[in-house]
Amino acid sequence: MKAAVRSVKNFSKGYTDTQVKVRNATTNDAWGPSGSAMAEIAALTFDQNEMLEVVDIIDRRLNDKGKNWRHVFKSLSLLEYCLHSGSENVVRWAKDNIYIITTLREFVFVDEHGHDQGQNVRSKAKEISALLSDDENLREARRNHD
Amino acid sequence: MSSFRLQADHMQSDASLVTSVRKATSVDETAPKRKHVRSCIVFTWDHRTAKPFWIAVKVQPLFASEIQTFKALITVHRVLQEGHRSALKDSQPERGWLKTCARQFPGGEGMKGYSGLIRDYVDYLLDKLAFHNQHPEFNGTFEYKEYISLRQVDDPNEGYETVYDMMNLQDHIDDFQKQIFSSFKRSSKNECRISALVPLVQESYGIYRFLISMLRALYKTIDAADTLEPLKQRYKSQHHRLRQFYADCSNLRYLTSLISVPR
Ligand SMILES: CCCCCC=CC/C=C/C/C=C\C/C=C\CCCC(=O)O[C@H](COC(=O)CCCCCCCCCCCCCCCCC)COP(=O)(O)O[C@@H]1[C@H](O)[C@H](O)[C@@H](OP(=O)(O)O)[C@H](OP(=O)(O)O)[C@H]1O
Ligand SMILES: CCCCCC=CC/C=C/C/C=C\C/C=C\CCCC(=O)O[C@H](COC(=O)CCCCCCCCCCCCCCCCC)COP(=O)(O)O[C@@H]1[C@H](O)[C@H](O)[C@@H](OP(=O)(O)O)[C@H](OP(=O)(O)O)[C@H]1O
Repeated sequence: MKAAVRSVKNFSKGYTDTQVKVRNATTNDAWGPSGSAMAEIAALTFDQNEMLEVVDIIDRRLNDKGKNWRHVFKSLSLLEYCLHSGSENVVRWAKDNIYIITTLREFVFVDEHGHDQGQNVRSKAKEISALLSDDENLREARRNHD
Repeated sequence: MSSFRLQADHMQSDASLVTSVRKATSVDETAPKRKHVRSCIVFTWDHRTAKPFWIAVKVQPLFASEIQTFKALITVHRVLQEGHRSALKDSQPERGWLKTCARQFPGGEGMKGYSGLIRDYVDYLLDKLAFHNQHPEFNGTFEYKEYISLRQVDDPNEGYETVYDMMNLQDHIDDFQKQIFSSFKRSSKNECRISALVPLVQESYGIYRFLISMLRALYKTIDAADTLEPLKQRYKSQHHRLRQFYADCSNLRYLTSLISVPR
């Protein structure tokens, strides 16, 4: 059912193949994106146009509302993956827009059971903020991925 | 590349900024919701100005409620800290509005116990704005890396001045945090009050780290170490009080789950 709604949405909103891949890797489903899905997206970022489409969806997901905290969490994870093994342009984009990430370090979302689901997002945002402000570490992380 | 976000279709309009400010300053006695504060911060980066933010703040009918006013001050503080650099500049002309806030709640504790805190908060924010006016090379959280060069230290007197001014601000943070702690009510969760401690923890830690590196640099450039002795003594006492502050904060579960409190 969810998948059907998703494909209707993808079609009606006119998302490109790349955008759909990123959306599928960052859904509200309880399970995470597969490594191969993330690797495929990271590889796409070496093309300038595809890269812009990838970060466009990531950017929208990062600014999604609390109820969709999985969108936020998964796009942070995907971004982290791309920072490690995507193109240098992803790094530049993330540095230019670092405030999008640093301001998520205090993300809060309390679900209907009273659980604070924000913790996942907060710690991921902290990790990535630290990574982006430490060039040495970032280079190291990228080298290990080649 | 950096203009990329300007095309993003979720980019907020002035109208949704007003909504964010309204929701951040709602009448409930809770922390201002991070999501709405974040929208205000992100707006200043996307548009490289805080002027629309201030317009949005000033159209809210806040003064009927201590809590709404207090939440507005927290929101302003967060925007000064995490917003685009222009936020510090664009906020200088708004000192009058801050003073008006304080005047709305003269004397006493107020119905909900926030009146005194509002006056203290206004005092602190005015002090912070004055500092940034005097030292525009600092960002809102005094991040060391942002400061790039310690060029002022070439002139020991100017370095001395900066350290002195920062220490005054640090003392002010310490006074204010004590006021917040002493305003806690046994019977309630105090979440709203605690949420005002968050920016103070971050700011005092930024200042602390800065002072260390400034003092080190000063010791290198100035031969007569005894001219620095008063600063050193003051640093020691601040260090001690700061540790106490962080120890107090680490007992607040709401706060430790949100940010990492330095030790
Ligand atoms: C006789 C025959 C008829 C046939 C017909 C046919 C007809 C056909 C009809 C069809 C309807 C078919 C499909 C429509 C089905 C569902 C639409 C749901 C849309 C939907 O998703 O709504 C949700 C939840 O809705 C509710 O809580 C509330 C949902 C309430 C839903 C209500 C539905 C109602 C329907 C009623 C129907 C009523 C019908 C009425 C009919 C009347 C007749 C007389 C609101 O979405 P959301 O804001 O909660 O969040 C979603 C959600 O989290 C998704 O999981 C997420 O996607 P993924 O991350 O990919 O998982 C979305 O992210 P994106 O935006 O980035 O994609 C989010 O946006
Ligand atoms: C001829 C036929 C016609 C048919 C039609 C229809 C058809 C039928 C259709 C049906 C729809 C039926 C059910 C729809 C049910 C639910 C859909 C509602 C979806 C839903 O949950 O909507 C609610 C709001 O709803 C209301 O307040 C109010 C919700 C009200 C809902 C109202 C509904 C209504 C209705 C009525 C009635 C009635 C009745 C009727 C019956 C009829 C029978 C025959 C959204 O709530 P939320 O929890 O999802 O969203 C929150 C909320 O927006 C918060 O304000 C927001 O926080 P702030 O930004 O701080 O304000 C949260 O953000 P974070 O998560 O980031 O913190 C959001 O996450």
